Amino acid sequence: MTRYVLRRLLGAVPLVLGIATIIFFVVNLAPGDPTVYMMTPGMSSEVVEQLRVNYGLDQPVHVRYVKWVAAMLTGDFGYSFSYSRPVLDVLLDFLPNTLILSACALALAFLVGIVLGTIQAVKQYSGLDSTLSVVLLFFYSMPSFWLALMLILMFSLMARNVWGWPIYFPASGITSTDYDFLSSGAQIVDRGRHLFLPAMSLALVLAAGIARYMRGSMLEVIRQDFVRTARAKGLPERSVVFKHALRNALIPVITLVGLYIPVLFSGTVFIELIFAWPGMGRAIVEAITQRDYPLVMAASFFFAIMVVLANLLADVLYAVVDPRIRYE
Amino acid sequence: MKKLFAFGLVGLAAACGGDEAGGPVSFSDPFCDDVIPRVQTWVAEQREANPVPDDPRYGGTAVLGSIGEIAQGLNVASSSDYSSVQHQMFVGLMTLIDYDEDIQPRPYLAESWEVSEDGTELTFRLRDDVYWHDGERTDAEDVAFTYRMVTNPETAFPNAAFWDYYVRGPEGVEVLDEFTVRVHLQPHSEFLNAWSTVAILPEHLLGDVAPTEIAQHPYGTVCPVGNGPFVFASHAPQDRWVFEANPGFPEGLGGRPFLDRYIYRVIPEPTTLLTELLTENIDVYLAPSPDQAARILDAEHLELHSFLFRNYVMVAWNGRRPQLADARVRRALTMGTNRQEIVEAILQGYGSVAHTSVPPFHWAFDPDIDGLQHDPEGAAALLEQAGWVDRDGDGVRENAVGDRLSISVKYNQGNQIRQDIAEIMQAQLAGIGVEIQPQVVEWGTLLQQINTPDLRDFDGVVMGWVTEFRLDDTDLFHSGRIDEPYAWAGTENPELDRLLDRLAVETDRDVAAPLWEEYQEALIEEQPYTFFYFSERLDAWNRRVHDVVMDQRGEWVNVREWYIDPGSR
Amino acid sequence: MAAGAESLSPATGVDASAGPRRRVVGGRGLSAALPGAPQLLAGRWGSGGAALLVWIGFLWVLVTRWDGVRDGWGGAWDERLAVASLILGVAAAWAWSWRDAVRPFHSRSVAVSQWDLAVRAFSRNRTAVAGLIVVGALYAVALITPVVAPFDPNLQGDLLTERYVGPSLMHPLGTDQFARDVLSRLMYGARISLSIGFVAVAISVTIGTLLGAVAGYLGGVVDTLVMRFVDMVISFPRLVLLITIIALFEPSIFLITAVLGLTLWPSTARIVRGEVLSLREREFVQAAVALGYSKPRIIFKHLIPNALAPVIVAATLGIGNTIVLEAGLSFLGLGVQPPTPSWGTMVDAGRQNLLDAWWLSTFPGLAIVFTVLSFNLVGDGLRDALDPRLRS
Repeated sequence: MTRYVLRRLLGAVPLVLGIATIIFFVVNLAPGDPTVYMMTPGMSSEVVEQLRVNYGLDQPVHVRYVKWVAAMLTGDFGYSFSYSRPVLDVLLDFLPNTLILSACALALAFLVGIVLGTIQAVKQYSGLDSTLSVVLLFFYSMPSFWLALMLILMFSLMARNVWGWPIYFPASGITSTDYDFLSSGAQIVDRGRHLFLPAMSLALVLAAGIARYMRGSMLEVIRQDFVRTARAKGLPERSVVFKHALRNALIPVITLVGLYIPVLFSGTVFIELIFAWPGMGRAIVEAITQRDYPLVMAASFFFAIMVVLANLLADVLYAVVDPRIRYE
Repeated sequence: MKKLFAFGLVGLAAACGGDEAGGPVSFSDPFCDDVIPRVQTWVAEQREANPVPDDPRYGGTAVLGSIGEIAQGLNVASSSDYSSVQHQMFVGLMTLIDYDEDIQPRPYLAESWEVSEDGTELTFRLRDDVYWHDGERTDAEDVAFTYRMVTNPETAFPNAAFWDYYVRGPEGVEVLDEFTVRVHLQPHSEFLNAWSTVAILPEHLLGDVAPTEIAQHPYGTVCPVGNGPFVFASHAPQDRWVFEANPGFPEGLGGRPFLDRYIYRVIPEPTTLLTELLTENIDVYLAPSPDQAARILDAEHLELHSFLFRNYVMVAWNGRRPQLADARVRRALTMGTNRQEIVEAILQGYGSVAHTSVPPFHWAFDPDIDGLQHDPEGAAALLEQAGWVDRDGDGVRENAVGDRLSISVKYNQGNQIRQDIAEIMQAQLAGIGVEIQPQVVEWGTLLQQINTPDLRDFDGVVMGWVTEFRLDDTDLFHSGRIDEPYAWAGTENPELDRLLDRLAVETDRDVAAPLWEEYQEALIEEQPYTFFYFSERLDAWNRRVHDVVMDQRGEWVNVREWYIDPGSR
Repeated sequence: MAAGAESLSPATGVDASAGPRRRVVGGRGLSAALPGAPQLLAGRWGSGGAALLVWIGFLWVLVTRWDGVRDGWGGAWDERLAVASLILGVAAAWAWSWRDAVRPFHSRSVAVSQWDLAVRAFSRNRTAVAGLIVVGALYAVALITPVVAPFDPNLQGDLLTERYVGPSLMHPLGTDQFARDVLSRLMYGARISLSIGFVAVAISVTIGTLLGAVAGYLGGVVDTLVMRFVDMVISFPRLVLLITIIALFEPSIFLITAVLGLTLWPSTARIVRGEVLSLREREFVQAAVALGYSKPRIIFKHLIPNALAPVIVAATLGIGNTIVLEAGLSFLGLGVQPPTPSWGTMVDAGRQNLLDAWWLSTFPGLAIVFTVLSFNLVGDGLRDALDPRLRS
C-alpha cells in the first residue's frame, strides 16, 4: 500500500507540472496585463513601462516561464501584485478558510445524503422515495449562487426582520466583528452560525448524488444473504437496517469523498463571493480580474494539487474499505 | 474499518464547530515583526497618558461594508483607488492640508503655509505634536522623503500628473528646519490640491526602500504604521480591516476619535451587503445601488444620504474613426439620446445630466450653460447635413460612399449601469437611423484596447472619470497629448488647446472663471464625449451612528467625529 | 400509467390490431384527419394523446398567430425556422400517427432488442417520462419562440413608467429594468440556454467518444498520452479553468459554448475508454479483427455503437449541468453577454434587485431548475433503463 501511494505520488509530479505549464501560458498569453489597472490620467507611457520593469513583465514569456518554474521548484511562488505580498503568504491566509468551509459542507452533505438515501432504500418505490429524489434533485439543479441568495433572504433577512425568529444566521463573513471579545464558548457558536448558510448551500447541491449512491448501495446490501439471515432470525426491521445493512452500505459511499472534492472547490467560488467568505475561490476570481498573474497561477496550482491528492485519497479509501482490491 | 469511517465523519463534524479561534495572524515578515510590537507599546503608553474623556460619545465600534478591498492600503506611493486614498487621507495617515465644506484649503498636518511672491516656492510649517504610531515624531524629513518618493519616476506613482508643474526629485524639496519644508514649483492653478490628497509617509520606516520596490512593500496592507486619527490593528485580506482609536491624536485636531474601533468589511455581493445592513450587522453601507434605495428608505432604522459626486459617466467617441470624425455626428449622437430619461430611469433620479466635465458644485461650473438637449429631429437634421442619409431604406443611414452609420459601443464586463447605458443608446439612436452595437469587453482587455496609442480599438466606449478638485482635462483633450494613453477621443481643436494651456497655469480663480465658461462652450461644440451625468453618490447608515458627514470630499471626511448612540452599543 | 400502455404484451398487441386488421386499416381512413386517433382507439392513451396534443397545440399556434407566421416566413432565419418547425410539427404528428397505425404493432415486438427493453423500462419510470415530456416541450417552445413570444425580447418600453412592473395580464411575468417583457425574454432565453447545453455536450461527446475509443482500442503510447492529458484536465476544478479562460479572453456565446464543451470531454473519454477496453476482448470484436477489418471500421462500426449507452446517460446529465454552469458564469459576469437573453444572465441581472423586483430572477431561476431537473430525471431514467442489472 505504501509503495502504491508513493508510486501514485511520483506519477502525479509530471501531471502537476503539466497543469502548471497550461496555467502559465493561458494566463500569460491573454490580452491585457496588470499595469493597465494601475494607470491613471497623466501617467505617461514611460511610467507604464517603468511599472512593467518593476513587476518583471518586460521580459519575454519563455524567460518568465523558465524563471517561474525554477522558482516554484524551490517553493517560491513569487510576489502578488494586488496584495503586495509573497503569493504563498496570501494563499496561506485564504486556504484554511476554504478548507474549513469545504470540510463542513462535505460533512453536512454526507449526513443529509446518507440519512435520506437510507430512507429511500428502505421505502423503495414508495411515494416518499420518489419525492425525496425529486426534492434532492431540485436543489442539485439550482444554480448555487441563486440557492445561496435564497438562503440568505430566508434565514437571515426574513428570519430576523420579518418572522422574528429567535435564531437567525448572519449573511456574511467568518466571524462577527466583536469575535475577539467573546468567551471561547461563544466564539464556537459564532463560527458555527457564520458557517451554517454557506456550508448548507454547498451541501444541498452535493446531497443528491450521495443519497442516490447510498440508496443503490443500501438496496444491494439489503438483498444479500447476511441481511436475509438477520431477518430470518427474527430481528426487528430497525435493527436489521441500522445494525447490519447500514454499516456495510456505507463502505462504498466513503469513496465519494475523493470524487466530490473538485466539485466542492468549484462550488466555493460562488459561495465565497456571496457569503463574503475570504477563501481561495474568491482569491482566484479577484486575482483573475486584477491580472495578478503570480497569484492566479499559484492558486490554480494549489487547487490542482488538492484535487490530485483527493483522487489519490479516493483510490486509497477504495482499497482500504474493499478487501477485494489490492494495489501492488 | 467501520469505526474508522465513523470516526472520520465525527472528526469532520467536530472540525466545523470546534476549530480553535484564529487569532491575529503572525507574520514572518521582518519589517512587520519589528514594527508591530513598537506600535502596540506606544498605543498602550498613550492610553495611559491620555485617559478617555468623560463624555458618553466615546466608545463603540462602527462597521462599514463595501464591495471592494482597500486595495493598496496605506501605501501612498502606489495608490490611486478611491478607498485607499480616502483611508490615507482621513483614517490612517494625514495630509498636509485638507478641504473644508466649501472646498477651501485649511491646515491639517501643516499648521500654516505660504507661497512666495512669484509663486515658485511653497513653504509648509508642520504641527509639532503629531507622532507616528510607533512613537516617532512626524517632521519635515517625512514630507521631503514622501515628495522625493512620489516624484521619482521609478516609483511609478499613479497620479504623476499632480507634479506636472512641480520640480521633481531631490532638487524640488528642501528641509528648512525640523518642522519647516519648502517645495519648488511653477505657478499653476490650484497648486495646493495635491497636498490634500497625497498623505505623508514615515521616512524612518521606509527611507531605505528602493522606489521600484515600494509598491510591493508590506507597509501597505500588512502592517501599515500611520500617524492619523486611527491606528491600524489588523487586516484579513478580502475580509476586514480593523482600526483602533489613536489615543495620542493631537488635541488641537480634536484629540482621540469617539469610536473605539472602526472596521471596514469587504462584502462583494450587493444583496448580501443590503441584508447585512438591514439586519444590523454592519452600520454603514458604502454606495448602495439606486435600485436598492427604496428598500433602505423603507427601513426606519436606516438613513439614506446622497450627495453630488465628482464622477461623471460618458461615452468617449473615437474621433479617429471616419464616421465619428465630424463633430456634427458626435453632437447628433448626444442629441438623439435622452439623457434625462437615463438619469431618471437608471439612477432613479440620483444624478444630474452632465454637459461637460465640470461638476455642478465646482466654482468653475457655469450654471447658465444649456448644453445639448434631447432633440431627435435636430439630431437627424445634423446627420443629414453631415452627409448621412438612409439611402437604401434599411433604417440605417449611409454616407455618399455607402458606408453604414454603424458604431460599436464598448463597455466593461460586470458594470450594470454602463451596460444599461449602451443598451438604451442602442434603442434610442435606432430611431434616428444610427446603429449602435453594444459590446462587452473584459476590463483589463478594454483598458488595453482603448489606452494603447497605436491600437485604439473602439468606436465608442462607456467610461467614467472621477475628477480632482483641481480640474485639468489636458490629458483628455489636448492635441499635444494625442499619443498618450488617455487621449481616447483623439481631439485636435486649437481652441480647446489654447484654453487648456491657459487654465492649467491660471492661479486666480476670478480670472479663470470666464475662461472656464469659454472652455465649457467649446467642449459642447466639440463633443469629444457624450457626457451622460454626474451621479449622486448614495450612502446608507444605521441611525445609531451619529454626526456622519459625507460629501464631495469623501465618505471618511469626519470619521473621527462619528459616534455611536450610547444606548445601542 | 398511460405511457406504459404502449408496452403491452405481444399477445394483446396482436389481439388489438392484427386480428381484425382490416378494421384498423379501414379506421385509418376515418381517423386520418385526426392524429393520435388510431392509437387512442387501440387503447394506447400515452402515444395517442401525445400525438394529438402536439398536433392540436401546433395547429392552434398556427391559427391564432397567423399574422406572425405569415411575417415570419419572409423574416430572419430563426423566424423561418420557427414557422417551418410549426408546419413540420403538425405534419410529423399526423405522419407518425398514420404510419404507426398502418404498421402492425406486433411486428416490432417479435425481436426484442436491448433498445426495446430499455425503452420499456424507461417508459415505466413515471418521473423520467415526466422529465422527457418537459424537455420535449422546452425544445418545442424554443423552436417556435419567434412566432409565439408576445414581444420582441430586446424591445424597451417606456423607461419612466414601464420598468419593474410586476406580473400582470399584459406582462404575465412582469418587466425588467429596461421595461422589457420578461416572458418573451424567458422564451428567447430558452433557445440560448438549451442550445449552449446541447452544443457544448455535442462537442464533448464527439471528442470524448473518439479519443476514448481510439485510446482504448489502440492502447500503448496513444492511450498513455490521451489519458495523461485527460487526467490533467480532470485534475483541474472545471469552474476555475472556465473562469480563467473566459475572463482573460472576450466572453462571447461561441467562446463560452466551446470552452464548456472542450472542458467536459475528458470524462466522456474516460467512460468510453473503459467500455472499449472490455469490449475489445469480446468475441464479436475478435471476429472482426480476425476478418481483417480496418481499425477505423472496427472502432466506428463495432466499438463505438456498443459503448454508447453510458455516454448517452452522461450526455443527458451533462446538458443539465452545462445550463447550470452557464448560469454560474453569468453570475461572475462571464456568461452570455447582454442584451442577448440567456437564463443565466437573466437570473444574474435580477439578483441586483432581488428584494423589490423578485420576478426578475425568480422566473428564469425556476426555468433553470425545472429544465435541469427534467434533464436529470431523464438521465437517471436512462441510466436505470440502460443498465440491465437495474431493470426490475
